[in-house]
Amino acid sequence: MRPSPPPDVDAPPTPDDAPAGVPRGRSPLARFVLTVILWLPVTFAVWYLVSPALMWVVKLVAGVAVMPFGDLVRTVEQTGSTLQFVTSLKPGQAAGAGVVSVSVDGLLYSFGMPMFAALTLAAREEGRWKVLAIGIAALVPFVTFGIVADFLKNVAITSGPLVASQAGFSGPQREVIAFAYQFGTLIMPTVVPAVVWVVTHRAFLERMRSATPVRR
Amino acid sequence: MLRFFVLFLLIQATLFGLELTPPVQRWFVVPWTNALAQISTAIVTSFDPNVVAVGKVMRSTTNGFAVSIEAGCNGVEATIVLLAAILAFPAPWKHKLAGLAAGIVAVQGLNILRVISLFYLGQWDFEVFEWAHLYVWQALIMLDVLIVWLVWVRTLPRAPEDDRAPPGPPDAAVASA
Repeated sequence: MRPSPPPDVDAPPTPDDAPAGVPRGRSPLARFVLTVILWLPVTFAVWYLVSPALMWVVKLVAGVAVMPFGDLVRTVEQTGSTLQFVTSLKPGQAAGAGVVSVSVDGLLYSFGMPMFAALTLAAREEGRWKVLAIGIAALVPFVTFGIVADFLKNVAITSGPLVASQAGFSGPQREVIAFAYQFGTLIMPTVVPAVVWVVTHRAFLERMRSATPVRR
Repeated sequence: MLRFFVLFLLIQATLFGLELTPPVQRWFVVPWTNALAQISTAIVTSFDPNVVAVGKVMRSTTNGFAVSIEAGCNGVEATIVLLAAILAFPAPWKHKLAGLAAGIVAVQGLNILRVISLFYLGQWDFEVFEWAHLYVWQALIMLDVLIVWLVWVRTLPRAPEDDRAPPGPPDAAVASA
């Protein structure tokens, strides 16, 4: 990491005024964006390869997250990057008809991780690998939220009245579950990684912004 | 910084909640999604006349392949995120409005590219389509939102005092923009 030069308000910024951590050149932001795009195929490939390990961690957190629902979930199992929630709910009225099991693809809720990794690696900040590890760890609860909301949406809404009635959720609770599912599917997987990146790269962003000419 | 994030989350959650209500779906989301299919089809037919749009569906008249633009693919959520990020950031309203106008065009422009690319990827290889649809394009659209926001923040007028101030904590530095 290069040391930042002292600010000089009298001299107009030049292309070489790009501060430490920001690639030098005519447009530091353009260079940064290009670097992110170059990192994305790599981070997506790594994410796909290590997703079973990531989902193992998510499975542990999900096991804790479903505890407040009592005996609704008997166990959480994993096959690759898919989690199966084995419930105590019966699929039909016939005795011995088995139990309802809901599968959720963990990749659908964790694809923001490679985006966060590409942004972090492209920023080239000091200690970026540590930030990457902390950021990924910070994303795990949000990935778990999306997966659990998906599971709950399945048992409370889309599995039909027979299963939903056994789950015992009230009308308002089902509304909350529906909102949580929509929010956890459409907003959180991409927004949370971006927010975590902004939070962990405030100094980088400020230096990037400092390269902007001062308007008098 | 804290104020920005609290406002960002509040605006985002409010707008997203509004988006899910039946009136907004009926009067804004559905018409916009249909318009998106029409715009995408109009662009595509400039080089491929064998494409038609029916409602929110783009269909190939050659092989029958069709894509239906659903929630999450119409760019509305990405626009909500951009809107929340710009509105929550301390800046003059003139700049906010200009940022919103340019940002919405940038986000929706890339989203049209997403729809068109998925339409052809699906005809070429369904597995690649699934990957691009479910993971890659989702991340790229949010990356677009982040870049648009960063570009907008860089264009904001900076008071000369910003540079004279001694380097403070990152919190103060970003929130003072």
